[in-house]
Amino acid sequence: MKPISFSYYRPKSLAEALDILAQEEEAKVIAGGQSLVPLMNFRLSRPKTLVDINGLRELAAVEADGGVLRIGALVRHQELLAHPLVVQHFPALAAAAAEIGHWAIRTRGTIGGSLVHADPAAELPAATVAHRGVLVLTSAHGERRVDADAFFYGYLMTDIAPDELLTAVELPLPSGVRYGFAEHARRPGDFALAGAFVEVAEAGHAGAVTWFGVGGRPDRQEMELSPDAASRGRQFAAALAELDGPEDEVEARYRRQLAAVAAEQAYQRAIASGRGN
Amino acid sequence: MMQGPLKPQFTGARVTRLEDARLLRGRGRYLDDIDVPGTLHVAFVRSNRPAARIVSIDVEEALAVPGVYTVWTAEDCGITMYTERYDVGQPVLAKDEVRFVGEAVAAVFAEDRYVAEDAAERVRVVYHPLPPVLGFDEALSDEGRRVHAHRANLFHHTEHQTEGFAEAFASAPHRAQATFVTHRQTGVPMEPRGCMAQLDAATGRLTVYVSHQSPHQFRSQLTELLQMPENQIRVIVPEVGGAFGIKAMLYPEYLVVADAARRLGRPVKWVSDRTESLLADAHARDNRHEVEVAFDEEGRILAVRDHVFGDTGAYPFLGFPGAVGEAGWATSMLTGPYKIPHVSITVDCVFSNKAPEGAYRGVGGPVGAQVQEGIVDLVARHLGKDAADVRRVNFIRDEDFPYQTATGNVYDPGSYAESMEQALALIDYERFRREQAELRRQGRYLGIGICTFVEPSAGAESEAGSTPYEAASIRIEPTGTVTAALGLGPSGQGHETTMAQLIADQLGVDVKDVVVMHGDTDSAPFGGGTGGSRSGTIGGGAALRASQEMRQRLMKLAAHLLEAAEEDVELVDGHAQVKGVPARAYSVRDLARIAYTDVARLPEGMQPGLEVVVRYQPPLSTTYSNGTHVALVEVDTQTGFVRVLDYVVVNDCGRLINPMIVEGQIHGGVAQGIGSAFLEELRYDDSGQLVTTSLMDYLLPAATDVPRMRVTHIETPSANVGGFKGMGEGSLIAAPPALAGAVSDALAPFGVFVTEIPVHPQQILEWVQGRVHSA
Ligand SMILES: Cc1cc2nc3c(=O)[nH]c(=O)nc-3n(C[C@H](O)[C@H](O)[C@H](O)COP(=O)(O)OP(=O)(O)OC[C@H]3O[C@@H](n4cnc5c(N)ncnc54)[C@H](O)[C@@H]3O)c2cc1C
Repeated sequence: MKPISFSYYRPKSLAEALDILAQEEEAKVIAGGQSLVPLMNFRLSRPKTLVDINGLRELAAVEADGGVLRIGALVRHQELLAHPLVVQHFPALAAAAAEIGHWAIRTRGTIGGSLVHADPAAELPAATVAHRGVLVLTSAHGERRVDADAFFYGYLMTDIAPDELLTAVELPLPSGVRYGFAEHARRPGDFALAGAFVEVAEAGHAGAVTWFGVGGRPDRQEMELSPDAASRGRQFAAALAELDGPEDEVEARYRRQLAAVAAEQAYQRAIASGRGN
Repeated sequence: MMQGPLKPQFTGARVTRLEDARLLRGRGRYLDDIDVPGTLHVAFVRSNRPAARIVSIDVEEALAVPGVYTVWTAEDCGITMYTERYDVGQPVLAKDEVRFVGEAVAAVFAEDRYVAEDAAERVRVVYHPLPPVLGFDEALSDEGRRVHAHRANLFHHTEHQTEGFAEAFASAPHRAQATFVTHRQTGVPMEPRGCMAQLDAATGRLTVYVSHQSPHQFRSQLTELLQMPENQIRVIVPEVGGAFGIKAMLYPEYLVVADAARRLGRPVKWVSDRTESLLADAHARDNRHEVEVAFDEEGRILAVRDHVFGDTGAYPFLGFPGAVGEAGWATSMLTGPYKIPHVSITVDCVFSNKAPEGAYRGVGGPVGAQVQEGIVDLVARHLGKDAADVRRVNFIRDEDFPYQTATGNVYDPGSYAESMEQALALIDYERFRREQAELRRQGRYLGIGICTFVEPSAGAESEAGSTPYEAASIRIEPTGTVTAALGLGPSGQGHETTMAQLIADQLGVDVKDVVVMHGDTDSAPFGGGTGGSRSGTIGGGAALRASQEMRQRLMKLAAHLLEAAEEDVELVDGHAQVKGVPARAYSVRDLARIAYTDVARLPEGMQPGLEVVVRYQPPLSTTYSNGTHVALVEVDTQTGFVRVLDYVVVNDCGRLINPMIVEGQIHGGVAQGIGSAFLEELRYDDSGQLVTTSLMDYLLPAATDVPRMRVTHIETPSANVGGFKGMGEGSLIAAPPALAGAVSDALAPFGVFVTEIPVHPQQILEWVQGRVHSA
């Protein structure tokens, strides 16, 4: 359980980081290291070069600007879940961040790392899809903006190019909609077996569910959400049947059931969040 | 004759563990902390096939990696761990054939572990795959391949039946049957296994450091397998971060390391990583019990038939093939605390292409208890009776002791019924039953599971070997402090504290003035080590006997100096004085000084110095501790998750040396029981690959899974010295059945009866939603 040998850079500026990424072959960015280092220790990931971005403080800011909340790639899960702007505008995201791993993992792990790693059971990719976020990808050639929905391809696969750095994610500030989040994990701190973000319009029944943990990537499905619990249950089940699940039949059935349970809880939380205001 | 002090100050008290000052501050020195310049680090190339012929091994490319010293295969190190009884040997590096995924095939020696792993990747092994044998039925079938070509897979078969079983069984008014299964699990110490060896250039002696439970047994095994004289090997066991039985076994890696150190002339070190641990530490619990029970209207159990299948994996551990140990314990203790007059027991143990099975805390105990409590619950279900009532009908009562079980054990007195009644009172059983009914109407499913366990402890034989005694040496130093050494091999249990408590009370000194050493065969007297819940009882007995002997020496010396009769001298607060006359006293410090440096004042015939070595063999071949665990769980029928809401333990391990340490042992055992009942499973897929090779897949209970538990004590003393009974394993024996029983009870409205652990949440949903039926 030791990584192969690698060279290590700790750039002092974004430009320097992008240069290294452009020049070095088989280079990988390291942020919190909470997903990358285990993979390297198992030798499943074998980068020749590591580019440590922890010195780039400009990537660590959270700011609201022109109707969007811009979250720097280096923002740690533990900062995210407690940040006043996040708690105010994206309570479901804050709640989800609190479910990631354990305290020690959350103080190191970053939103950028979580999005690029793209574990299908991870909270933040799903939260970004649910909130229709935009990922800002920067390379020596310039900047590119990709909708979250288009960014995630499948199990640990995304649209990012080897020379690109994810610098920030932008979430439009919600208006007229509320969000709820719920998930089920075997033990507190584990990756979820299944979870859901539910979005409901403040007026009418329009809504959407973003599922994670069932298929290979977070899936957002828009639907009219019935006010009747039993019909909602059937809606969730029908929506889930459309997703590709795990191969094992019992496992797939189980994850879909948990996802449906989570969606109902998330729905209730979304509704309840309105009552508080 | 050897009267104890009137008021023991330390024995029985909640003395804070002397070890904790270093352990909690991160100052313990473990095997991996030993860092000798020039050490070669080992990485093993392990088989990725469950069964295959080795066609060729090419090490050239590995040898070319800069920093690699050498690479060994079976050609270079031909040591075989051979078990005559089954005519099976395990080569320390696989020879000609591999028999499980994770078996060591080659060893790379390099300047550091990184380089060693780089080179290990470059060792090319060509395999010719063979069809793997992966379960009992396959191993036993005629078509099944032989794991060892020269012998049958069935390597251990026993039958035992009480006289009159057949009639008792046939004439019983009721019968029921169930098949109980425990899947593969293992003890997961926080500190993985490891070994480091070094030849002393000056003396030619070999020092072997190892994370192990039995230093002397380990030395004996090395002596034999390395063919070296015993006095040329020194075994040192540093701080051990958990052992749980798996560190009582002898593993191939240790022999490779020791052999390399002496032949390569360099210090050599190997520390297991977590994946290696899950692949190649002793596995355990892979058992199936096919059970039939015969009973009457009252729920009285008349006869039990049990056919046990045990899968020991590819090789027998030396002296302890796990499946045999497990089936032996499970069936020997099958009747638990109940008066069951008739049994019929058949045991079949097989080899398979899975990792070898060895000891894990409780050995066959948890599995036996699962059967023992399972049948009682089954009887209750069949008759529509309360599970506690059926236990009451069957308990062995006070007047029955000493009680001989149908399986041939003789139980010394215990408190079976009393422990259950106290535990039920603690959890308020009657009120729970009312609440349970009410909550069910609201769609909430709570249940209680009961396990009244009997734990055979301090036995003559255990996974720690067959040393039916323990040794203690005690030395009072010239300035009056006490140094003791024992042959034990603790791994966090707090022996340095408990032994010091016993010794301090006998010698009238402060517990902090007693240093207890262990783990170094150069200084510790030959002993059995730690395993089979023997240390407190047998080790404690030895400490007590040795300190009593020392006490006598002190009294004799004091009497002589005080010109008083020995009967008139007493030892209090570090002073020997004429009874009731503190003015006429010698401190222990004075006595020690005189014994070493003023020897003209010693009585006629007394040797200078203050040093004794005592070996103690308990009069009972086994002493049985007992207790009752009651688990209260809630099953979420939407998610299949089980939450433990409350947990009570009433424990009886005879005289308590330190209740806090006993409770700590229980807390840990219950935590492992939660893992065993709900989380932990070593899963092999259909092709024989272990798929749970990290702690992402082999799930351990986290702090949040373990409830606050309430523990109380009953003290029914043993006839052994001090009245102690062992208690290292009872908690892990009792917890899995209590928890599984609680799930059965919670889901009784769905007809669920749990017979297989661990219970997975998806399984629970399949039951609740009626897709599959439990037994
Ligand atoms: C025990 C444990 C439990 C966990 N539980 C959860 C959980 O419940 N839910 C969950 O979501 N996660 C969980 N995680 C993972 C954790 O959230 C990680 O922090 C996260 O997945 C990755 O973030 P990181 O900053 O550590 O990224 P790293 O590990 O440093 O990197 C991960 C990947 O992203 C790339 N990368 C990182 N930052 C950038 C960037 N700015 N631009 C381009 N590429 C980048 C790296 O090259 C690498 O490929 C757990 C981890 C552990 C160890």
